[in-house]
Amino acid sequence: MYGSLDISTSGMIAQRTRLDVISANISNKNTILDAQGNYSPYRRRIAYLAAGNPGAQSGKGQALGVHVGAIGQDPSPFNLKYAPDSPYADASGYIKEPNIDTTTERIDAMEAVRAYEANVVAAETTKQMLALGLRLIG
Amino acid sequence: MILDDVLSSGAMPALEATIRFAGQRNRLIGHNIANITTPNFQQKEVSPRDFQQWLARAVDDRRTKTGGMHGQLDLASDRQIRVQRDGGFELEPLSSTGGVLAHDRNNRDLEQLMQDLSENMAAYQVATDLMRSSMGTLGIAISQRV
Repeated sequence: MYGSLDISTSGMIAQRTRLDVISANISNKNTILDAQGNYSPYRRRIAYLAAGNPGAQSGKGQALGVHVGAIGQDPSPFNLKYAPDSPYADASGYIKEPNIDTTTERIDAMEAVRAYEANVVAAETTKQMLALGLRLIG
Repeated sequence: MILDDVLSSGAMPALEATIRFAGQRNRLIGHNIANITTPNFQQKEVSPRDFQQWLARAVDDRRTKTGGMHGQLDLASDRQIRVQRDGGFELEPLSSTGGVLAHDRNNRDLEQLMQDLSENMAAYQVATDLMRSSMGTLGIAISQRV
């Protein structure tokens, strides 16, 4: 029974991480410079979830649950924006902007929040079942 | 031993198996919910119907052997349920639950999962309540003796 809580927690952690990635995407929607100030448009990040939970204590716990397997970059082409006055514009007057679409990010965020909620409900149910089980003792 | 007889009387062994099953199934459902957005994930399930048929066979068996009111259930390993030496068992779900694949090749069904979660919880609650009342009856019987 205690293993069930670990599983739901792993789900919440994974969805929260995914939401962090989505927030980073939205906040970097217009980022075209890197941390050093060089021209390098931000690439959209994607959190890839994978079944299993390598961080779990027991072998059985490792088989169940979920974790973020990798955070990858979206290889799709950058958005082009016509800005001939920009110092970063290419020969034809375009600058590259991050390949981030706010609508997609918002829908992904909604999905992550709902999945997080589902894990919370599962954890609540487990808690109630634990309480019921413990009542057998008293 | 007298305690063994007391603890294996009536519905106690069946209740114990039901509580164990519901506890382990809760873990499976939790696992499915945790992986609700994992690409290529196939939902895992051991159907309660299969479990009930499996348990019913053991109960029938006990009835023919002992008349049905006492004795441990003789549980045998099944396709998806592995009985352990201590009398407990472990669920080993075989494969996918079928259903429609989403675009990420995950056959999730959130509504079904939530229904399973609450049904399983209700089964657990009923079994623990019945177990508790059996224990209470035992307690009364014991206190009358001393």
